[in-house]
Amino acid sequence: MRTAVLLAIAIVMLVVWIFPVAWGLLTSFKTERDVLAYPPEVIFEPTLVNYHDVFFGGASIVPNLISSLIISGLTTALTMLFAIPAAYALARLDLPWKRATGFWVLATQMLPPVGLVIPYFLLLRKVGWTDTYQGLVLVYLTFALPFAIWLLVSYFEEIPREMEEAALLDRAGRLRALWHVILPQAKGGIAVTVIFVFLNSWNEFLFAVVLGGNTVRPVTVAMFNFISLEQTQWGRLAAAAMVGMAPVIALGLLAQQHIVKGLTVGAVKGGGRR
Amino acid sequence: MRERRFALALFLPAFVLLVATTTLPLIYLLWSSSQRIDLTMPWMSGTAGLENYAKLGGDTRFWQSLKLTLIYTGTTVVLQVLIGLGLALLVLQVRAGQAILRIGAILPIVLAPVVAGLFWRSLVLAPDFGILDFVTRALGLGSYNWLGDPQLALVSVIAIHTWQWTPFAFLVLLASLAALPPDLYEAARLDRAGPWQRFRHITLPLIRPAIVIVVILRMVTALSAFAAIFAATGGGPGSATEILNLYAYRLSFTELNIGYGAAVAAVLLLITLSVAFFLFALRRAR
Amino acid sequence: MKVDGGRRRTLAALGAFAGAPWIARYAHAQDLGAYQSAKINWRQAEGESITVAVIPAGYFDALEKVTPEFEALTGVRVRYDKVPPGQIRQKAILDLTAKSGTYATHAADPMYYDLYVSNKWIDPIENYLGDAKLTDAAWYKADDIIPAWRGANSVGNRLYGVPFDGESTLQIYRKDLYDAKGLKPADTLDDVAKNAKAIHDPNNRVWGAALRGFKGAGQNMYIYPSIFRGFGGNWFSGGALRVNSQEGVAALEWYVNLLSQYAPPAVRNWNWPDLADAFSQSTLGLYIDANTSASVLNNPERSKVLGKIGYARWPRGPSGKRVSSIWNWGFPINAALSEKAKRATWLFISWATSAETQARTSWKASGAAKRLGLNRLSLWQSKEFAALAGNLGTNFLPASIESMRDDLDVEWRPKMPQWPAVGETMATAIQAALVGQQKPKEALDEAQGRIAQILKG
Repeated sequence: MRTAVLLAIAIVMLVVWIFPVAWGLLTSFKTERDVLAYPPEVIFEPTLVNYHDVFFGGASIVPNLISSLIISGLTTALTMLFAIPAAYALARLDLPWKRATGFWVLATQMLPPVGLVIPYFLLLRKVGWTDTYQGLVLVYLTFALPFAIWLLVSYFEEIPREMEEAALLDRAGRLRALWHVILPQAKGGIAVTVIFVFLNSWNEFLFAVVLGGNTVRPVTVAMFNFISLEQTQWGRLAAAAMVGMAPVIALGLLAQQHIVKGLTVGAVKGGGRR
Repeated sequence: MRERRFALALFLPAFVLLVATTTLPLIYLLWSSSQRIDLTMPWMSGTAGLENYAKLGGDTRFWQSLKLTLIYTGTTVVLQVLIGLGLALLVLQVRAGQAILRIGAILPIVLAPVVAGLFWRSLVLAPDFGILDFVTRALGLGSYNWLGDPQLALVSVIAIHTWQWTPFAFLVLLASLAALPPDLYEAARLDRAGPWQRFRHITLPLIRPAIVIVVILRMVTALSAFAAIFAATGGGPGSATEILNLYAYRLSFTELNIGYGAAVAAVLLLITLSVAFFLFALRRAR
Repeated sequence: MKVDGGRRRTLAALGAFAGAPWIARYAHAQDLGAYQSAKINWRQAEGESITVAVIPAGYFDALEKVTPEFEALTGVRVRYDKVPPGQIRQKAILDLTAKSGTYATHAADPMYYDLYVSNKWIDPIENYLGDAKLTDAAWYKADDIIPAWRGANSVGNRLYGVPFDGESTLQIYRKDLYDAKGLKPADTLDDVAKNAKAIHDPNNRVWGAALRGFKGAGQNMYIYPSIFRGFGGNWFSGGALRVNSQEGVAALEWYVNLLSQYAPPAVRNWNWPDLADAFSQSTLGLYIDANTSASVLNNPERSKVLGKIGYARWPRGPSGKRVSSIWNWGFPINAALSEKAKRATWLFISWATSAETQARTSWKASGAAKRLGLNRLSLWQSKEFAALAGNLGTNFLPASIESMRDDLDVEWRPKMPQWPAVGETMATAIQAALVGQQKPKEALDEAQGRIAQILKG
């Protein structure tokens, strides 16, 4: 009985939750006329013309998808490479001036992006790195690193100390201990961090517009091809948005399995008994 | 000693990278806030010392923006954590279709904020033309100008932001909850502790670090929220939804008064740091 | 050279799915005779490569399509960087202020020229127009370019950007609804309200009138100035900017009253595309906005009002003046370029704004959408254009031409380097009054105070 109620609540919440995205999905199959129809149409004759234009038309976003993949892929990979060791050190090891440096790392996250656009533009210009992947990824790293480090810190802190102590006793295998013992324990946390680092850089707009250009043009910028000054092509915009969401959802699907690995059958956390 | 070196070796790469890439921009920000850099009046450029900051005092738009920011940030962060935590607890209990729930729950955040803002503005919230209006009328609740009425507009953008970002709180706390060792509960159950007490005294303290981090990170995002509000209201109607971040953007990039805009950004930084410092202390208070 | 894989891929996609136009393009590419009749050496900047920042829009797409002809003609390579309209000014300004010379030229907002010039970021066009080696005056006919647009792009009577594409604002109304009630398009601002009242029928989802409400210097502050000038307002009194004069308040009150009574409530957040959408869905009786919306309104894919559209000039205000907006996207020359690059840029600009290219991006263009916002009066009056514009709606051509000839007012918006800040402040005030947050007089008084602050520095 209780399960049924909970399930019902869950379904209602889900419907309200995903409604705008679902509506976007519907819109992507509508002709422009149907989009603007009032009362809003749920039943209509679907068309693939929007997706056709988005993939094959003059303003095809396929090159931009690739651009986004490169940017977000590089950012995520590099971030995790630097952040995992750093987070572990902060969480569990004897780092000199741990609290101060830890807070400083978090503080760099607080720099308001609005205030950073101009200095980053000028700096990249100086080095000739505007409209390059390395330039934009470098800037994205400065936002992603503190974020990832601190997310990971809270997950590393949850790992029972006994497990670590046992692993670290073997002095020669400190790194191996980290790799084989600690990391698998934090798999869920790492998966979540990967999703959000990827997502944040995938959806980023302001820096991509200012620091990018012809070569570095992610999907978020390219979508504006459909929001021209004359009119908003809702159908194509929706299709572009859906296509833009696809890689992240795919990543999410892959990563989310790792999030709840600790769930054993019948066990319940923090709530009641079934 | 060995551990110290190991620790440093792990930590230094990220640290050095961050120092290298954030120090110069921070210095530039602070420097430009002490200058008069107004592109629209280049003949007036020069040092201004603390003048830009002094100007803030008499700028009603700044104070209003500050007030809006506090309301906006406070409300959306609290809502995000409450709903996110609730959702996470719910999902853990419902065994059937968990994967669907988990994927469904993160959909709002996967939609690009700029598109989300546009969709909400023109297709959902517009009175007489949007879906929400259609639904409220059909339910006999009347019609509201969600984005055109100054009070409602603030509510609407808070709702949009909360809708978009709660999935973050949800997933992070879900991962946190899922990683808790199950044997703790055995002990508690044996003590005949009820579910609420189990939650309050065992679960909550254990996930407190995660909650605090979520709060801090969500606060940072709320304070630097831009794309969705900009697309939905442009900071309007009037300046009813112009949070400090939008105000700094308008000053620097629309009015081209870069010095003054930098000062506002610096104040924003100060506020963020102070709140984070306070919350950070909470993290450790065991 | 940087890898421009993105552009290559897009071109490949374009090529794969646009067979016929490719053939046509190559055919055209050989037909450079129209340009070569100009007595200048088109190849004097051969080998240069320039980047041009534009917004995503049909008229720039059309230009991009014919750019291979330019490249064949001059040996100058052109790359387009499409920047979203909300960011193009900022991106151009960042480039100009850093003197990096990334954008040889860009699609510029005419209200920004004062800003550019006071920062010495762009070169006066006369240097290039007057140079016989760079311009064949008889062939180019600079005076044919719409005078008011040139005036808008000038600072102190010197031209700084050559208009490429532009528009004027007109009344766009439902001819069928007006005819049914025996109404004529409004001649005065009072008539607008009367007409709106006559056809206002919100229960059947038809609203009498609508104007832009969305806050922005280029949004609601694009329509208000026409009303302001119609009421006889002057932006400068005694050399100082004054926005809260009697006429200013009267104009804002008219704006607010019209919209509160006859426009759908959503109008407060509506920008031009939203108005066009609403009109094309037959929910508006009238709106006043750019004449180039004609192409959107006549798009059979979206529009329900084909054949029911009428156009008319701006109504006269109490002062007797009819003032339309002056908008054009013009191309300035970045002062930070090398001499040769500047010449290459000028060749590009003069090519793009020449009568021949204007025609080739309009009625001579392949594809369904044809440019309407041509920059030369002679082209507007040509029979080819008349054929093109013929079925856009009743009175489209006469209204547009008259509007561009007689209703353009160079004092339409306050021309000053501080325009970006001033425009935004006014836009906020207008919207605040619209939503009832403040009364028009209050809103303008507050705007005046803020503007005074801004001007003080």
